[in-house]
Amino acid sequence: MKKSMGTKKKASQIMLFAVLGIIAVYTVFPIYFLFVNSFKSQKEIVASPMAFPKSWNLTYLKSAAEQIDLGPSLFNTLVITVVAVTVIVLVSAVTAWLMVRNKTKASQALFLIFTAAMLIPFQSVMYPLVNLMEMLGLKNTGGLIVMYCGFGLSMTVFLYHGFMKSVPISLEEAALIDGANIFQVFFKVVFPLVKPITVTTIITNAMWIWNDYLLPFLIIGNNDKKTLTLSLYYAKSLSGQYGNPWELIFPAVLICAVPILVIFIFLQKNIIEGIAAGAVKG
Amino acid sequence: MENFYKRWFKILVIPAVILFFVVIIIPFIMGITYSFTAWRGSYFKGSENWWGALVGVTNYIKVFRSEKFLSALVFTVKFTVVAVIIKNIASLGMAMMVKKVSAGKGFFRTVFFFPNLLGGLAMGFVWSFIFQNIFSLVLFGGESAIKIPFLCDMLQDPNKAIFAMALMATWQSAGYMLLIYLNGLNNIPDDLYEAASIDGATPWQKFKNITLPMLMPAFTIVFFLTLSQSFKMLDENLALTSGNFGTRMLSLQILLSTRENIPANYGMAQAQAIIFFILIAVISVAQVTVTKRKEIEA
Repeated sequence: MKKSMGTKKKASQIMLFAVLGIIAVYTVFPIYFLFVNSFKSQKEIVASPMAFPKSWNLTYLKSAAEQIDLGPSLFNTLVITVVAVTVIVLVSAVTAWLMVRNKTKASQALFLIFTAAMLIPFQSVMYPLVNLMEMLGLKNTGGLIVMYCGFGLSMTVFLYHGFMKSVPISLEEAALIDGANIFQVFFKVVFPLVKPITVTTIITNAMWIWNDYLLPFLIIGNNDKKTLTLSLYYAKSLSGQYGNPWELIFPAVLICAVPILVIFIFLQKNIIEGIAAGAVKG
Repeated sequence: MENFYKRWFKILVIPAVILFFVVIIIPFIMGITYSFTAWRGSYFKGSENWWGALVGVTNYIKVFRSEKFLSALVFTVKFTVVAVIIKNIASLGMAMMVKKVSAGKGFFRTVFFFPNLLGGLAMGFVWSFIFQNIFSLVLFGGESAIKIPFLCDMLQDPNKAIFAMALMATWQSAGYMLLIYLNGLNNIPDDLYEAASIDGATPWQKFKNITLPMLMPAFTIVFFLTLSQSFKMLDENLALTSGNFGTRMLSLQILLSTRENIPANYGMAQAQAIIFFILIAVISVAQVTVTKRKEIEA
């Protein structure tokens, strides 16, 4: 009796493993495609899309890198992402912390407005926003950063707010009695304690800003300060009048994905745990 | 102590408030106002300022008479229903399997999560190739032994395109939703299942009476996220179909509507944007209220 239970359990485990394996293959399948087809000519891509390339030819990657203006685009995207994420994280963490420590009507009202604003989709404010930015002389990279900061705030403040409640106030009081100023209290006591949620907010914001297409499209358009995703979009649409130029699209997409892939490989554990932590409190 | 925090609150909250007002609140109020005017983007028709160009609800009437807007609205609703159902079933199913499997948990979580990090536009291009060349010519049509017409030329037919887009969107976000569900599953105490087993409950009874009610908090979050994600989707729509063949969603409609008329009618585009906001706000608030109530009942 016991033995048959064991084999039954084993069989169901093998089934489970097989099903998950199939889903995993399905998940990786588009990335496999992206990879093998980045080394093929248009003809080879269409003729044998599933196969390994006949030779690992780097020509297409090189010409794609040129077409999307890799150096400047990568630099722009990096600057925008790093600056915006840093500002979002610091401003939101401080704001959420002081909101939790202040039970005044003003602070509660502000939190309510911040939370309610999560319901406002970007599309509902984009046209007036572009208009306003133009008036302020901010229709450029700087303006783009300001906008990402504004849009990242709501969600990030909300996430931190949930987490800050678990920071014991006695630790802060002790630090203050020892003569620490507010910045020391924040950076030495509070900020390290909320590290899991900081990881979550960095990832979710960075992911979205790095891959965003619409905001750069509206603000930068087709000029020389393009981000990676925007360059990819223009490279595709400008050369795609006669069918899709796959020998350009595949290597270009691969180039855009590589930085993310590298970061993910190094930080996967933090990323997965961070998302899980954010999900519980959010 | 309280005064200390109060004083600093007044100072350190300023950057957040400024950013928030400049980027969201002011444009939002401008947007509502401009939707009632003859706004043309860089000027107001027939006036120097917005109050001279007020046209009442004309823009809204035009929007509800616009075939493009109405068809985008219907398509968006259809897509959202399909995508929310598929995403929830897929991610909950995967979460339950990952919880049960005895080896490779971390590996599966990682692999399933990965597509989340890739851009919707970039991967949309790759998926459009998969639907056009791999599905239609290699796997389910053309020379293939297995012929499944439904999976061929999915991007050229509005009904099939809903499923094509949902397939890609699920591929992208299921791994994220899985993490939320998995967390919920891990929070269910084992003794509930043990007690049920002793009472002779079937697996289905356990799922229905223990798993589902205990998962309500996770469900609220996932439902909220998938709903707004699907309703607002733009990049995938643009990359897969460019909104052709009657597959245009609301986000793309708002973006394209200023590019299709000359001179561009920004007032009318903004009216669509406001309707879009109202729809999202109503749906989200209703959903959260209903699922929260279920949470309490459970």
